[in-house]
Amino acid sequence: MGETKHEPSFMPGTLDMLVLKTVSRGAMHGYSIAQFIQDASRDVLRVEEGALYPALHRLEVRGLLRSEWGTSDNNRRAKFYRLTALGRRELDNEAEYWTRIASAVTRVMQTA
Amino acid sequence: MTLGLKPSRYVTCATFMNHLLAIWHRLTALLRRKRLERDLDDELAFHLAMREADYRHDGIADAEARQFARRRFGNVTSLKEQCRDMWTFSPFETLLQDVRYALRTLRKSPGFTIVAVLALAVGIGANTAIFSLVDAVRARALPYKEPARLVALWGNVLRTRVERRGNSYPDFLDWRAQSKSFEDMAAFDNQTLTFAGIDDPERILVEFVSAPYFSLLGVTPVRGRTFSAEEDLVATPAYVVVLSDGFWKRRFGADPRIVGRTVTLNTRTYTIVGVMPPRFKGLTDTAELWVPFAVYAPPQTMATRSTRGFGALARLKPGVTVAGAQSELDGISRQLERAYPDTNEKRAVEVSPLDVELFGALRPALLTLMAAVAFVLLIACANVANLLIARSEARRREIAVRTALGAGRGRLLRQLMTESCVLTALGATAGLLLARGAVAVLITQSPVTFPSFVTPALDIRVAAFTIAVSLACGMLVGLAPGLQARSVDLNSALKDTARGSDGHRSQRVRNALVVAELSLAVVLLVGAGLMIRSVRNLMALDPGFDPTSVLTLRVSIPRASAPAAPVPPGALPAPSEPVIRSRALLERVRAVPGVGEAALGTDLPLDGNAAAGTYAAEGMPPTNAQNVPRAYTHRISPEFFSTLRIPIVAGRTFTDADIAPTSSAVVVSDRVVKRFWPGQDPIGKRIKFGQLTSASPWFTIVGVAGEVKYRGLPDNPTSDPDVYLPFVERNSQYALAVRATVPPSSLVAPLRGIIRGADPSIPIYQVATMEERIEEQTSQSRFMMWLMGVFAAVALSLSVIGIYGVMSYLVTQRTREIGIRLALGAGGRDILRLVVGNGARLIAAGILIGLAASFALRRLVSSLLFGVTAADAASGIAVAVLAAVALVACYLPALRATRVDPLNALRYE
Repeated sequence: MGETKHEPSFMPGTLDMLVLKTVSRGAMHGYSIAQFIQDASRDVLRVEEGALYPALHRLEVRGLLRSEWGTSDNNRRAKFYRLTALGRRELDNEAEYWTRIASAVTRVMQTA
Repeated sequence: MTLGLKPSRYVTCATFMNHLLAIWHRLTALLRRKRLERDLDDELAFHLAMREADYRHDGIADAEARQFARRRFGNVTSLKEQCRDMWTFSPFETLLQDVRYALRTLRKSPGFTIVAVLALAVGIGANTAIFSLVDAVRARALPYKEPARLVALWGNVLRTRVERRGNSYPDFLDWRAQSKSFEDMAAFDNQTLTFAGIDDPERILVEFVSAPYFSLLGVTPVRGRTFSAEEDLVATPAYVVVLSDGFWKRRFGADPRIVGRTVTLNTRTYTIVGVMPPRFKGLTDTAELWVPFAVYAPPQTMATRSTRGFGALARLKPGVTVAGAQSELDGISRQLERAYPDTNEKRAVEVSPLDVELFGALRPALLTLMAAVAFVLLIACANVANLLIARSEARRREIAVRTALGAGRGRLLRQLMTESCVLTALGATAGLLLARGAVAVLITQSPVTFPSFVTPALDIRVAAFTIAVSLACGMLVGLAPGLQARSVDLNSALKDTARGSDGHRSQRVRNALVVAELSLAVVLLVGAGLMIRSVRNLMALDPGFDPTSVLTLRVSIPRASAPAAPVPPGALPAPSEPVIRSRALLERVRAVPGVGEAALGTDLPLDGNAAAGTYAAEGMPPTNAQNVPRAYTHRISPEFFSTLRIPIVAGRTFTDADIAPTSSAVVVSDRVVKRFWPGQDPIGKRIKFGQLTSASPWFTIVGVAGEVKYRGLPDNPTSDPDVYLPFVERNSQYALAVRATVPPSSLVAPLRGIIRGADPSIPIYQVATMEERIEEQTSQSRFMMWLMGVFAAVALSLSVIGIYGVMSYLVTQRTREIGIRLALGAGGRDILRLVVGNGARLIAAGILIGLAASFALRRLVSSLLFGVTAADAASGIAVAVLAAVALVACYLPALRATRVDPLNALRYE
């Protein structure tokens, strides 16, 4: 049961950042988070769906996300995740960090 | 990736907050564990349903849609576990889970569990018990202040450190004055004195000690004080005494105003100055009173450099080693040798750590036992490992299914390990209970007397040992099946057609385990065999006299009237008439029905009262100071030799005519003749006590007696001969030996009656039959024999169970093959040969390895053996026993194999 064989693997921690960013738009359930990341990245980043849930639970335990049960678009009971204040701060930090790293890497790639 | 750095203060602070928050979330999660579990199921189910619906929307058929959704999601079980881990204190909780699971599986197979737990309990229990004994004889266990720095000093000859002869007071004073290695030094010795109490006269062990003795040991009196330095001066000794707690309570009813009262010992009155705390009984461990060393002997004796007889206690200064102190004292000894060549030629002193002095004799025996129980435990572990392998074979399917359902291999391995650790923990618990009982029995029932302060307890160190041992066992035992589980091939295991390479390899592991068990058992059996032989040799040893039906006791005859005038210090009290003369007492004893013969002597064989002195043979001066002839002297009544059946090899024993203070007759033991007059007639030759130049009178040899093991079995500690003199009335303490025509112990009461009838103030003590004294001498060997025997028996049964298990398993595994062989016309004999031959190979390998190992280990026990070598016939018998029992264990499953019904066997599986 190959787990992460053909999926492009993320840099450690980037999945957390993407999840936080996605959820910052409003409460979402796991399925729509996975779907959003895939769509927004134009299918480049295909989250291995199962792996999303340990990440969600980890972020919740760390207090970056809060969850509540609600009803989905098609009237099913679903668990919705929402960003907390702590999560927003973390997201800002991560985003800033990411931008710095990404631009640094880009600069290196262009000069070399 | 370590790209870029976040501001570090933020990191630490946030990390800390995050940790707190996470812990809080986990704690609250504990309260709603069930709901979280349900939510997780619902959440994942929702996701799958959504994905499935999407696929269906894209026009994919129902069944396929579900399959795709699942495939895209990944391993649900594993992911669930990962999510759960987020909410739990995971390592601890999985451990608990594993333990619960292990207990459940163990409960499901009670037979296996009971056998395994029992085997481990015996192994771990025996180890715990023996370890607690070993731990109790460490230096640390001594009930004194900083015991590691305490040493005993013994005079010896020629710096060989072989023969100890005690110290002389002038030497002792010189050591104390000149040495710089010690904080302080104290002389000590002990004597048994008569305490004339209000009721019974009592024989009391009194220690004669220098003033610093108590502070060296670090004990302080609970009442009053100990001795001052002035009270310890030989010129002006003070007759003061310190009481033990027991004596104070027993004889003085714990009188709070005890200090200042008096105690009378052997007609001398001592003033009580202090009382020691409970449980302090001095270095002898039996002392009841302490008096200053200055009263040990008259001043002229104390001033004689050649009169040696006591030990010294000293405390090393911090940082000084035993070797350092030894070399300093060696130097001082050489100075004394130059200064006093007459008395100190080749004299030296041995520095010996106090714990070696007090525990030295016990340690090699206990270490041997420790090795023996370690072997027993290893055998038990091998057995349990074998059982676990057999079980893991049976559980291959279960393990494969769990792996297929997403259980990680590490997790599985950990769970198997947990299972074996739970098993050993159960074993350890039962073992601890077992050990508690065993230690109590060992201490109380042991023929070896342990010092009173050896109090093995199941304390924190022993508990730590047991936990460590059982964890090690758990790992060891779980390793084999654990490794096996790692290599389970899912496909074949699930299909269950496999009897492939795995089965073969596990059989090899099991065979190796059985061979190891058998060889360990061989080592123990050989050890036990040697012990048994050794004890039999000891018991069969001719002690030089006949110990059967002999009762011995000791009396101290009071003088009819105490001297009226106070005796000046150091002078001998004026002689006075005893309350009953020895002849009259002997006559009374002889008249008791059941008494065949009776004799008396100042001491008897093996009663520990012998004393040695120097002597000289006429015309044969010693060549130097260290080969001055030395002999043990005994004053005896004429019937002594016939009563104890000591052969007279030449001449005669004493006659009544010899019993006179002026008598010059002497009987010597054979060694005197061998030394001075080999091949000549010794009768009529003369010896004297002291040196040739001494003014002492000559004694004429009238007879030669056979050598007697007078001072110890299997032999006297030194080869000095015995010299017998006629008994004289001056000796007020002596021993009676009675050869009985009835069981000797039945004579104790009538003899007491007849002696007390003569005078009620006569103390009677050291009552024992000669056979008891011999048993005492062999007690350690017999103790070792019994324990080794028990351990070897346990080892034998465990290893036989082991080989039986393996052979039974083999037969079950090969039922199909056996069925085919039978169907093809093989006879029962062929099948028997097949199975038993397999077992015999294992047994032979085990025996060979075991014999080689016991040969390698023979040095360990050689000090405990007497008259046997490792190549003794006893080893052969031990091995034969093992081989026979193990073959029977193979034969039974083999017999079962011959009864295999070929049809059934082929249908099997």
